[in-house]
Amino acid sequence: MAVQALPPEKLLPDSQPTYVASWIYVFGVASIASLVVIVGSGVILSLKGPAWWHATGIGHFINGIHLWAVELFFFVMVVHLWGKYWMAAWRGGRTRVWITGAVTFLVAIPTALTGYVSQQNFDAQWISTQAKDGLNSLGVGAFFNVTNFGQMYSYHVLLLPAAVVGLVIAHVLLVRRHGVVPPFVLDTSRVSPVEQTLAPPDADVRYSGGASS
Amino acid sequence: MMGAVFNLNHPAHVVHWHFFQMSVSNIVVIVLMLAVFALAIALPFPGAPRRRGGA
Repeated sequence: MAVQALPPEKLLPDSQPTYVASWIYVFGVASIASLVVIVGSGVILSLKGPAWWHATGIGHFINGIHLWAVELFFFVMVVHLWGKYWMAAWRGGRTRVWITGAVTFLVAIPTALTGYVSQQNFDAQWISTQAKDGLNSLGVGAFFNVTNFGQMYSYHVLLLPAAVVGLVIAHVLLVRRHGVVPPFVLDTSRVSPVEQTLAPPDADVRYSGGASS
Repeated sequence: MMGAVFNLNHPAHVVHWHFFQMSVSNIVVIVLMLAVFALAIALPFPGAPRRRGGA
């Protein structure tokens, strides 16, 4: 059933529709690339521990890589979100693609915030004491305690990244299944509103990259 | 430890207007994101076929 849903030519396509030849389509894969760097540097930090990432040169460096990969991740992910919103990428039965993407964004935010309180320094302590006031006033403090560094570190290192990675995998597989959403049909005088959500006539033209037309 | 090119050891410069409060660096990043978004749409992609207009 999985192979029926995603045959090899859909799972690993070697061409793409002509309309995908645009820089706006770079930001999805940039999000994945920065997520790979985040997870990789995060694994190293978790193996070596806080004394290493605070007190050694290489530890500082990997700590910095982890932080700036997160900054880049949110930068490119939000630009990806803007592009997908304005091209109404949920069209053509792609609702779940949109939802997995939106939920990934929402889960990535507490993943980053739990990282800020997991630094094992006075900055983290300050952030948690400020955050507890806002979150506890919403009643969220009944479910987790931001000043409980053990809990926050576990959420940050295991629970939330696992959720983000799982959601990204589902998101990408759904994109492979449904294909990249075609652009809007511009000449609306000849096309009904329903047909406007379907692929334009030249959507079957595949672009293998590198060839000029 | 090497000194930074820019002094980072000071409180952020903050833009404060009614209820809106944000650091200048945060505003710069948001402006940059908008600029990158606009450029991504406007800049030609190498090898992309040129549209002659219309659907």
